[in-house]
Amino acid sequence: MYYLLEFIRKYHYVLLFLLLEGVSFVLLFRFNSYQGSVWFSSANNVVAEVNGVYSEAASYVGLRDINRRLTDDNVKLQMENEQLREALRKATHEPSYTEQYVREHLEGYELIPAVVVSNNVGQGNHYLVIDCGSDKGVKPEMGVVSGGGVVGIVYLVGPNYSLVIPLTNEKSSISCRIRGQNYFGYLQWEGKNLLHAYVDDIPRYAKVQKGDIVETSGYSSVFPPGIFVGRITDIHNSGDGQSYKLDVTLGTDLACLRDVNVIATPYKAEIDTLRSHASEAEVALGQ
Amino acid sequence: MLQTFLSRLGWFVLLFFLQVLIFNHINIMGYAMPMPYVYFLLLLSSETPRWVYIALGFVLGLAVDLFTDTPGMAAASLCACGLVAPLLLAKFAPSDKDTDELRPSAVTMKWTGFLGYAFCLTLLHCILYFTIEAFSLRDWQTLLINIGASTVLTFFLIIAFELLRVRKQ
Repeated sequence: MYYLLEFIRKYHYVLLFLLLEGVSFVLLFRFNSYQGSVWFSSANNVVAEVNGVYSEAASYVGLRDINRRLTDDNVKLQMENEQLREALRKATHEPSYTEQYVREHLEGYELIPAVVVSNNVGQGNHYLVIDCGSDKGVKPEMGVVSGGGVVGIVYLVGPNYSLVIPLTNEKSSISCRIRGQNYFGYLQWEGKNLLHAYVDDIPRYAKVQKGDIVETSGYSSVFPPGIFVGRITDIHNSGDGQSYKLDVTLGTDLACLRDVNVIATPYKAEIDTLRSHASEAEVALGQ
Repeated sequence: MLQTFLSRLGWFVLLFFLQVLIFNHINIMGYAMPMPYVYFLLLLSSETPRWVYIALGFVLGLAVDLFTDTPGMAAASLCACGLVAPLLLAKFAPSDKDTDELRPSAVTMKWTGFLGYAFCLTLLHCILYFTIEAFSLRDWQTLLINIGASTVLTFFLIIAFELLRVRKQ
């Protein structure tokens, strides 16, 4: 403090000089239009320069936030893009002949659309998980079809998801017939190729040709009759020589399956009731 | 003391009116403009406090400015001259001087010393004044002509004043 006062006492004339110069220049810029404008524009330039440097620095500092936001936006956009692409795919999808045929046959049945969310191809027994459960009316033993034809049968049902046993599971056995003839047999999987299965128990006198269509028989009440399953590619004799064993190429590629429909058969309850009545009657007769 | 004050006040008023009434209207070739009011700072003795130099320079400059409609220009330059004047005076003061107080004139400082002092201060004032007036170095040739011509003109006027003063004494 002392030194400050001493300094002021010693150099008070410099302070006075600065003050008076300040006053002079204020007057100069205030009352002289030329100097005022020069001062104003150069001051403006300086201010703009400083502001530019500041904003550049600020934008550099803000890069982290901007990066974060960009990443978020990017993810959001990617998700939106995927949704839109999906919507476009659905909108422009042209149904194949088989799909149309399946659809025609399924008219009158309630179809529950579902999407395959898990598909354990090549890992032991083949199962599918679809994103529809009891909340949407799916029950065990309902049939599942896709655009290519039969997919499988619902096995277990959770509230939101269901487990489906597809054709390509060794436990699967679906009642089939050859289109145009009423001989029927059971479709089973050979355990190797996802596109091939076989039908057993076709009588030898049936007129079967390569290329004939195998479809559901409707006997099992799981599927309505006439839904495409596959085509016959080869005809063998069965082990006991009493019947044919037909090699079938499946219409559905289960390795790349996405959209499926669950068939809610309206008559299944009725058929099941009749069956149980029949078995009761059988038991009663037996007694 | 009072006499000194009155004499200075007289010079102040005289130089002010001369500038306002006569010299402001002289502008030779559009370049040379006499500004002999700098002479007032030359008269102040070496004992004058520095702040008085500065304050008087500012006041005289501002008074002149008000009549030339250039507020701040002469005030700023004459104020700066007031800051430098004592240093110049010390530099041009005769070294064989016994007494402390020096009243600058052609007699006390010899003509060479006084004219050197006068010229430096005039030049400084002209440089500052015209630089502030132009407020840019783009047209530096004109600026130099302005400074040179005005310095010479002002310098001659100061010599005339000094001659009159010395003869009167």
